Amino acid sequence: MSDRLILAVPSKGRLMQDTLALFERAGLTIRKIGDERGYRGEIVELPGVDVSFVSASEIAQFLKTGRVHLGVTGEDLVREAMFKVAERVQFLLPLGFGKADVVVAVPDCWIDVRRIADIEEMAHTFRRVHGRRIRVATKFTNTTRRFFATRGVTSYRIIESLGATEGAIVAGTAEMIVDITSTGETLRANKLRILDDGLILPSQANLVASRTIDWRPAAREAENEVIRRLETVVPEAPAEEAGAD
Amino acid sequence: MTAETARRFHALEEQAHEITAVFAAHNYEPVAPAIIQSADVFLDVLGESLRARTYVFTDPDGDELCLRPDLTVPTCRLHVERHPSGDVRARYCYNGSAFRFQPGGGDASHPREFRQAGIESFAASDREKAEADIVAHTIEALRAAGLEEFNLRIGDLGLFNALLAAIGMPERWRQRLRNNFWRPQAFKEELYRLTTAPGGAALGLPKELIDAIVPDDQRKTEQVVDAYLARNNIELIGARTLGEMAANLASLAKDARATPLPPQEAELIESYAGVTAPSRAAGARLKDLMRERGIDISDALETFQRRLELLAKAGVEVSRCQFCANFGRSLEYYTGFVFEIESPVLGDGIAVAGGGRYDGLLKAVGAPYDLPAVGAAIHTERLLDAVRGTGT
Repeated sequence: MSDRLILAVPSKGRLMQDTLALFERAGLTIRKIGDERGYRGEIVELPGVDVSFVSASEIAQFLKTGRVHLGVTGEDLVREAMFKVAERVQFLLPLGFGKADVVVAVPDCWIDVRRIADIEEMAHTFRRVHGRRIRVATKFTNTTRRFFATRGVTSYRIIESLGATEGAIVAGTAEMIVDITSTGETLRANKLRILDDGLILPSQANLVASRTIDWRPAAREAENEVIRRLETVVPEAPAEEAGAD
Repeated sequence: MTAETARRFHALEEQAHEITAVFAAHNYEPVAPAIIQSADVFLDVLGESLRARTYVFTDPDGDELCLRPDLTVPTCRLHVERHPSGDVRARYCYNGSAFRFQPGGGDASHPREFRQAGIESFAASDREKAEADIVAHTIEALRAAGLEEFNLRIGDLGLFNALLAAIGMPERWRQRLRNNFWRPQAFKEELYRLTTAPGGAALGLPKELIDAIVPDDQRKTEQVVDAYLARNNIELIGARTLGEMAANLASLAKDARATPLPPQEAELIESYAGVTAPSRAAGARLKDLMRERGIDISDALETFQRRLELLAKAGVEVSRCQFCANFGRSLEYYTGFVFEIESPVLGDGIAVAGGGRYDGLLKAVGAPYDLPAVGAAIHTERLLDAVRGTGT
């Protein structure tokens, strides 16, 4: 292993654009090496850094397994990707973009279900009437299980959803969902409502460090420089340890 | 996790031989259900908490399968496949691998791959006799494998149900307390809610809606709900019907108008849940407790006593058996008698064997109605460690 710092940034979409723009403002110019369609890059101002363009959910995996030192990705994806989060990664800096809330949403017509506490009894009745458990469609299976376990919701089943989760209810594959939302627009359009206390995790893009990779002094130095520069441009946020394991 | 040595493998094989010989001698038919099970039925029965610890995967054809996290459900499925009505008396025994995800990879007491040896007794009409047999045969198998020192703990959901039935309250409150029995904190909160503000759940609902509901008239309530949805331009989507929502709202409205549970009744339920004593003394103590409060659960208490007599007759040292009213098995499918056996070598909280009654399980895997079912499983790796005195 060399002394170089490996930084993973999102490889496509809004998340990539926002990341590059933020680094740019901080005086860190991220540039691709070789072909524009390639996945390797560098920071012009910091020659000791290698940049990898990786999909946001893969970045969480890379941080967990120690393939990269630093990564820019959503807190929701990191918490979903691993158990024992605090042992494996450290959230260094919320970056102020990529905001999305992981929420529990039910059909708006469930006028008798407003809070998480209303789910369990309804679910027991549902099971008696329909002969099966209530189904929750989500791609956040670990996050959902952990959240429901702490809230005493037990009589349900998760249906793994790979996309268009908000359509699962009309499609008849689930009764409720756990999904991300930024404005709530898509949920409303699909006749869904977020439960009054249904916010599981307010998430945004974070600069995250891996605890499972070998950190050489030179890599630490480069990390400090990246943090120092980013801190000058990220909007001031209360320094709270977000979310629970 | 390290691979097991050939020597340990043989020791486990030999131990399994001792165990199954005991089971076979008591007429349990050996069965070997499939290791790979369809995830759907399995997980619907066991619920999401065990699913979180189950290895689920999709095969190339897109079917969702799992490595069985226990052998009880597969054995139930096997029985219902053979006898679709389920009501044929049968006794089965098994010894085979089960698999559970352990965050962090697991340790000696919590391996992700382990062998379960167990017995199941289905459709036996003398329930206490069947329960006593299961305990006695499990202990006999443990002894045959060389286990000398152990502690037996029992619980009885039948007593709890009888107590709830004897205290005046709406059936849905009993249902709620039963649902929460497995989670002590939630149980406490629910009890507190029932004694202070049973209508609390209705507080977040539009008052005009709750006030308009006529609790005992389902049709009228449905009309109210229907009108409310139309007025607010809310479309009905999903599998839950208008009738289900109306029924649920009716109970919420009833709760909002109900007299809270008297504190002394809640206190009685809490005192009951707190009883932990040697089993014979526990029977006497419960009898006294109920007599003081003028509560009659004598049938359930007699059942409890009769089971103790049958256990003693079957050779179980009842004097050393501990009763624990609050004894909650981690699997919520148990419906009556439950027991657990621990070894002083392995320490508290690590059961060598356990089991109980689960009358809803056969129906959950396809039988037409609830059927008597009671069984037990031995964690054979732990048993080997306990016998050899190499606990962690």
